[in-house]
Amino acid sequence: MNMISRMTDLLETSRTFCLATVISSSVKDIMPGNKTIVLGDGSVEGGTGNNRLDGLINKYAIQALKTQKKQTIDIVQGLSVFFDIVAQKAKLVICGAGHIAKPLAQFARKVDFSVTVIDDRSNFADPSRFEGCEVITDDFVVALQNTNINTSSFVVIITRGHEYDTECLSEILPRKTAYVGLIGSRRRVGFVLEMLSNQGIPSDRLKDVFTPIGLPIGAESPEEIALSITAELVCVRRKTSVQAKKLRSVIGI
Amino acid sequence: MNDGEIFNQLVDLQQNGIASCLATIIRTAGSTPREIGAKMLICLDGTTYGSIGGGCGERQLQSAAIRCLLKDKKPEILDIDLTVDLNVKGGDVCGGNLSVFVEPFF
Repeated sequence: MNMISRMTDLLETSRTFCLATVISSSVKDIMPGNKTIVLGDGSVEGGTGNNRLDGLINKYAIQALKTQKKQTIDIVQGLSVFFDIVAQKAKLVICGAGHIAKPLAQFARKVDFSVTVIDDRSNFADPSRFEGCEVITDDFVVALQNTNINTSSFVVIITRGHEYDTECLSEILPRKTAYVGLIGSRRRVGFVLEMLSNQGIPSDRLKDVFTPIGLPIGAESPEEIALSITAELVCVRRKTSVQAKKLRSVIGI
Repeated sequence: MNDGEIFNQLVDLQQNGIASCLATIIRTAGSTPREIGAKMLICLDGTTYGSIGGGCGERQLQSAAIRCLLKDKKPEILDIDLTVDLNVKGGDVCGGNLSVFVEPFF
């Protein structure tokens, strides 16, 4: 099996890896295009066949995985290697399948998120409303308990009531996430955050929650709100949550 | 298209016996439309998947990829300069330059 098929297999099982490709070489028997796959646990596939150079490639690859930085490095004179980080699609979990969820799921898919939608109302959590998404019709808590959420997961909470928001957040906040956003008026949001604080969620973690949700573009319609949320998701994925928060602070949120 | 989709497409092309070039941005300087790691596939018939930034840069890449598939048949580094005069019709809108690794798959 060639390296490309191997990479698609790794991505199927949602493994992030570093792909090290020789891009120029004056070293005997090492040709441009030669590839090494290095996984986070340090396991290696492929390589140049030269022990010393493979050792160096692995070292830089592990470093690249840690820093998440893609770059070209001349690992020795006459041998340039491009260290690429290849990751699965980021996952977006939308809690609440109402009016905003529909355009949000569409926009998020367009910008390369794999989308899961959860609601306990089967007429809303209807797969025909969410083409190309995973749709779960179940209680929010049960659904979230069965959903894998990790540091590359984005979670948007747009349920129909503050009691559901609280339930969802108590499931999600104890886990690590890339992003958590919560919709709602100041009053509703304040109430939810206070309940969670009383439940023992640390205040630092509560501060991670993006609320009000979305970049401040003056959105009003469900589609506009979905657009502003999608913009925020992209900002966090491409840049950082610090940058996304800064954009809000400009107008005093 | 994300990396996974590009690689899936490449596997698909290989299984169907269609030769293509995988292009990956390996270096950037100044203002470029896409970041390091952005990928694009170019087939002989001109079909493309993904993007390394559009415009003239991609046109240059397409010619290089087709030359690579027909003639050189080995990987190469293509340097693309986007700093040409902004007043020129069809000039690129970005001001940087980038290097692209172009790799043929048969």
